[in-house]
Amino acid sequence: MKLAWSAEDEAFRAELAAFLDQHAPPEAVEYGRHLADESSDGGAPPELLPDWARVWQATLFDHGWMVPGYPPELGGRNATPTQTLIYLSELAARDVPRSLHFPGYAIVGPSLLEFGNEEQRGLAPAAIRGDAVWCIGMSEPNAGSDLAGLQTRAVQDGDTFVVNGQKVWTSYAMIADRCMCYVRTDPDAPKHKGISVLMIEMDTPGIEVRPLRHITGAAEFAEVFFTDVAVPAAHLLGDVNDGWRITTGSLAHERGGLWVPGVARCRHTVDELVGVAKARGLDADPGIRREIAALYEEAASLWALGHKGFAAGAGGAEHSYMKLAYSELLKHQFEVGMTLHGPDGAVTSGEPGDPVWWRRFFASFAGTIAGGTSEIQRNIIAQRVLGLPRGA
Amino acid sequence: MDFALTDDQQLLSDTARSLFTNEYPLSVVRAHADDPSAADPLWKHLTEWVALGDGPLVDLCLFLEEAGAVLAPGPFFATAALYRPVVAALGREPAATGTVAVAGESGEWVASADRVRRFVVEADAVEEVVVVVPGGAIITGPLPARPVETLDSTRRLFELDVPMGEHAALPLDPDALTGCLERATVALSAELVGTARRILDMTVEYAKERVQFDRPIGSFQAVQHKLADMALDVERATAAVYYAAMAFDAGDADRHRAAHVAKAAAGRAARRAAKDGIQIHGGIGYTWEHDLHLFMRRAYASEFLMGSSDWHHERLAGLLFD
Ligand SMILES: Cc1cc2nc3c(=O)[nH]c(=O)nc-3n(C[C@H](O)[C@H](O)[C@H](O)COP(=O)(O)OP(=O)(O)OC[C@H]3O[C@@H](n4cnc5c(N)ncnc54)[C@H](O)[C@@H]3O)c2cc1C
Repeated sequence: MKLAWSAEDEAFRAELAAFLDQHAPPEAVEYGRHLADESSDGGAPPELLPDWARVWQATLFDHGWMVPGYPPELGGRNATPTQTLIYLSELAARDVPRSLHFPGYAIVGPSLLEFGNEEQRGLAPAAIRGDAVWCIGMSEPNAGSDLAGLQTRAVQDGDTFVVNGQKVWTSYAMIADRCMCYVRTDPDAPKHKGISVLMIEMDTPGIEVRPLRHITGAAEFAEVFFTDVAVPAAHLLGDVNDGWRITTGSLAHERGGLWVPGVARCRHTVDELVGVAKARGLDADPGIRREIAALYEEAASLWALGHKGFAAGAGGAEHSYMKLAYSELLKHQFEVGMTLHGPDGAVTSGEPGDPVWWRRFFASFAGTIAGGTSEIQRNIIAQRVLGLPRGA
Repeated sequence: MDFALTDDQQLLSDTARSLFTNEYPLSVVRAHADDPSAADPLWKHLTEWVALGDGPLVDLCLFLEEAGAVLAPGPFFATAALYRPVVAALGREPAATGTVAVAGESGEWVASADRVRRFVVEADAVEEVVVVVPGGAIITGPLPARPVETLDSTRRLFELDVPMGEHAALPLDPDALTGCLERATVALSAELVGTARRILDMTVEYAKERVQFDRPIGSFQAVQHKLADMALDVERATAAVYYAAMAFDAGDADRHRAAHVAKAAAGRAARRAAKDGIQIHGGIGYTWEHDLHLFMRRAYASEFLMGSSDWHHERLAGLLFD
C-alpha cells in the first residue's frame, strides 16, 4: 500500500494535465460546475448538445483521451487500469465532463465491441466519438427495476423485425440518432429468456418521442412510442432471445468508473457547504460543524473505498457499494445545503452564480433512482456480495 | 493511492490472522474477564510483534485488525500503538511493555497537567508508564492504578494519580505528540474495524442459517438491507483506516484529517454493526452465553476511547472551518 503513484503514472497525469490545459473549452468547465444543477439558469431546458460539446468529445477521441484504456482507433491510448483511474480523477478534479451524452461511449460502444458482429463493431468508434448520439431503451411503464418484465414486442418478418410498444424515461431520446432498444421476441419463454436487443434508427417511421420534463422543471427525458416500426434484422445485436446477457454486460461496463466523478462531486460539495455555513454566519454552530464534518468523513472514506475496491479488482456487484453510497450521500449533502439557508431554503430565485441547492437536491434523485435504485443496489449487495439467499 | 498489499503485507496479514485465530479463542477472552491473568500465557505469542509499533503504520494496522477480530486482550495495543512511538519520540529505549497516560480529569485525549489520569490502558500490566504533560512527558515505572469498570472487560482501563513533582519531564514537541496520538488513533480504528467486520461476518452467517417462516431470515429484505448498509459502513471504514495509515507513512499533509475520518468512520461502522448485529440475532443475541455481546462491548468501548465519533467530527470541523 502506498499513497504515491509510480513515476510512469505521474508522467501520464502530467501529459493529460497539459492536454487539458491546452484544449479543455471554458464551456466544459462551466458546464461541469453546474452539472448538479442540471442547468445553470433554471429556466427553459438548456440546449442538450451544444456545438462545443460535440467538438470537445471528438477532440478527446482524436487525441486518445476519450476512453484511454482503448486502442487509438477507439479513442484511447492503451492506458492501464490505474491510468484510467488517474484520468477520471483528473477530469473530476477539474469538473470537466468528457461528453454530455454518456450512453454512446459508456454503454453502447462497449456492448457493440463485446456482442456485435464485425459490421456492428464498426459502429463503435462513432458511438464513442459522439458522432452518433445514442439513447438506451430499457425502462417501460411496467418494467423498471424488474427490467426483464419488458413488453415492447418485436416480431420477425423475413429480414425485418416489426416493433410495437413503449419505452419511458428515455434520456437523450430527443437528440438521439439511434436507440439501443430491449424488446421481447419470445413472449412464451421465461421472462429473462425472450429478450433481444435491436439498434433502431430514431428517424424510422412509426417512432414518436414525447419529452417529459424532469422534477426540476429543467432538463428532459422522454417517452418513446413504437408503432409498427420496421427494423432490419441485421440490426439485431447478439442472438435472438439472448438480450439479457447484454443488459447485464452493458450495465457493468462503465459502472466501474462512475464512482470517480460521483465521489469527487461529494467532496467538492463539502467544500461548498463549509462556504455556505461561513457565509451565513453558522460556522460557530457546533451542530452544523459536526454535521458537515460527518459529510466530509463519508466523502473522504468513499474516495478511499473506491480506490481500494479498484486495487482489489472489485467486480460488478461490489460497485453497488459505491453507487448506493455516493448517490445517497450527494442527496443528503444537497438537502443539508438547503437547510443551511434557513427560511430561504425553499426560495427558488438565487443570486446569479449561486449554487441552487433545492435544484441540486431535486436533481440528485436521478442518482438514487436511475441505473438501479438504491433499494436494488442493497439487494445486489446482500445477495451477490454477502451471499444471502434471494427473497421469496 | 494504491491499496494493493505487497507480498510482505499479505504475509503479515495472513500470519496475524492465523496467530490470533489459533491462539486467542473466545474461551480465554471470557476467562480473562474474571481473572485477567488467564490471558497472560498468550502474551508470549505477541512479544516479538510489538516492534510493529516502530514501523509503517499500515503494517501495524494489518496486525491490529486481526487482533480486533478476536478481541485479543493484553498490553499489545498499549505497548505497540501507544507507548513505543512516544518513547521513540522522547529518544529513549522502550521497555518490554508500556502504556501512555494522556487524558486528565476531562477525559479528553489531549495533553493535560492534571494529577489524575483517566482511561490509561492496561496500566497495571506494564513495566513503564509515560505520562504526557504540556510540552513534555514523564517516564515512570508502574504507578498505583485504580481499575475503571467499563462495558468491555477485554481492554482494561485505569485511573492513576501521578506524583507530578517527583519526576522531571523530558521535552516533547507538541506536534510530535499529536503525531503519536493520531497514529495510535488510526491503529485503534484498525482494531475496531476488525471487530466490526467480525460482527458483520457472524451476523451474515447467522442470517443464512436461521430459518423462520420456512426460509432463512437472510432472505427477508428488511434483514438484507440492514446487512447491506452494515457491510457498506465496514468497507468504508476499512478503506478510511488504510488511507490514513498510508498518509502517515508518506508524511502526507492530509494525515491529520485522515486520522479523524478513520476513527469516526470506524466508530460509526462498529456501532451500526453491533446494534443491527444483535437485533438480527434475535433472542439468542440477548444472551450472556452468545459471544456477540462481547463484540458489542468492545465496539462501544473502543468508540468511546481516544475520542468518540462526535469528538473526532468536532476536531475535523476545526480543520475544515478554521
Ligand atoms: C433521470 C433518469 C434518467 C433515466 N434514464 C433512462 C434511460 O435513458 N433509459 C432507460 O431505459 N431508463 C432510464 N431511466 C429509468 C430508470 O432506470 C428507472 O426509473 C429505474 O430502473 C427504476 O424503475 P421504475 O422507475 O419503474 O421504478 P420501480 O421499479 O417501479 O420502483 C419503485 C420503487 O420500488 C422499489 N423497488 C422495486 N423493486 C424492488 C425490489 N425488488 N426490492 C426493493 N425495492 C424495490 C424501488 O427501489 C423504488 O423505490 C431513467 C430514470 C431517471 C430518474
